[in-house]
Amino acid sequence: MFELAMTLESVATVLQQDAGGPAISAEAAAALAVGLAAFGAGYAERGIGAAAMGAIAENEDLFGRGLILTVLPETLVILALVVVFVV
Amino acid sequence: MSIKTEESSNYEYVVARVRSRRAKLFDADDYRKLVRMGPSEIARFMEETEYEAEMNALGTRHAGVDLVEYALNRNLAKHFDDLLRFADGDLYDYIARYLRKFDAWNVKTVIRGVYTESDREDIEDDLIRTGEFSERLLDRLVEAGSIDDIVELLDGTFFADPLADAYDEYESTETLVPLENAVDRAFYAHLLDDLPRTEPDTPTALYREFLEAEIDFRNLRNALRIARSGAEIDPSEYYIEGGRLFGPEELRQLARNVDELVARIRESSYGSDLDAALDHLEEAQSLIGFEHAIEAALLEYSEKLSNRYPLSVCPVLSYILAKEREVENIRAIARGREAGLSVEEIEEELVVQ
Repeated sequence: MFELAMTLESVATVLQQDAGGPAISAEAAAALAVGLAAFGAGYAERGIGAAAMGAIAENEDLFGRGLILTVLPETLVILALVVVFVV
Repeated sequence: MSIKTEESSNYEYVVARVRSRRAKLFDADDYRKLVRMGPSEIARFMEETEYEAEMNALGTRHAGVDLVEYALNRNLAKHFDDLLRFADGDLYDYIARYLRKFDAWNVKTVIRGVYTESDREDIEDDLIRTGEFSERLLDRLVEAGSIDDIVELLDGTFFADPLADAYDEYESTETLVPLENAVDRAFYAHLLDDLPRTEPDTPTALYREFLEAEIDFRNLRNALRIARSGAEIDPSEYYIEGGRLFGPEELRQLARNVDELVARIRESSYGSDLDAALDHLEEAQSLIGFEHAIEAALLEYSEKLSNRYPLSVCPVLSYILAKEREVENIRAIARGREAGLSVEEIEEELVVQ
């Protein structure tokens, strides 16, 4: 038991010495952030789009309103895009 | 015989369509106008609304109140069939479960038609073409020459076994009661079939609760009607399994004593929702008033659920109930005006939210 603890400690020291910079660069992290935001927006639009199509099928006048509501989550991506310019 | 599709449910789409349709239903103002119209005015009024297509399609073959009634049924079938067409996955299953009630109605209509030797066309007019039976099965049912053939045609549906069992009794008594009971019981027996028991307060659990309430009220109504009619029938014979409130033995005892029955419901979980209905029953001792109050309470409850759980089966259910009520209300108005009832008497028959 004691030996195992000793080994673990030595491994941890080695790992700490090796850990230099971050795992990915800042640009890559920003790209990831935009990607995830776009993914979230897409998922939100899925539901809204389906509901909007249903409403438009019943009443065609709702086309404009349906379109606006459907693309509303797109603002998420635009906000996330700011991150790209910040880094 | 539940059909499960592999896709996931499309609540958003179905709910959006359903809400839009629900908004187009007649409101209290429309009813106020309708009760003051004569039968022909009602027909003309309906030609200018939602029911236009059906009124025109059936206008050549029927007239007057019959026309109104057939148009209502056909419109109902169209809308409910649409729901089944829209829905996928679990949602389809939930909707179909309740709409099988029209399968039961159709089977009963066909059996009655054959029993009274009605024309093919007459039977066809009375069908409500929605539910899970295919158009083809319905056509073949209408063409069936004998009740024996009907039972055979239904092979493979869940009506088959109960009907086959009841057939012997029908042959010995020559009355339709055993067959009709078998159909109704088959419907209610499968209402809760493999509906998952999920944790409380999820939409599915509420849906299950709603169906259980439906069974409870059906039991209650049967018991009250038997008690009122004074017939020497044992209510437990007509007991439907699956409700939460009563067992068969309890129901038999309570049916004899309305006061005790009312007290029992007041204590139950339905108590607060049914307060108005119960007051009605105690004061007026009128069954019709009580039944209408139950309908109104159910309608209100379903509306509450549909606002609380917007993306679930609840809005769809609420629409189905509201549409059914509308059809029944208009029919009551048309038939009432035809029979020359006064405005007040008809208004009492309506269930308006």
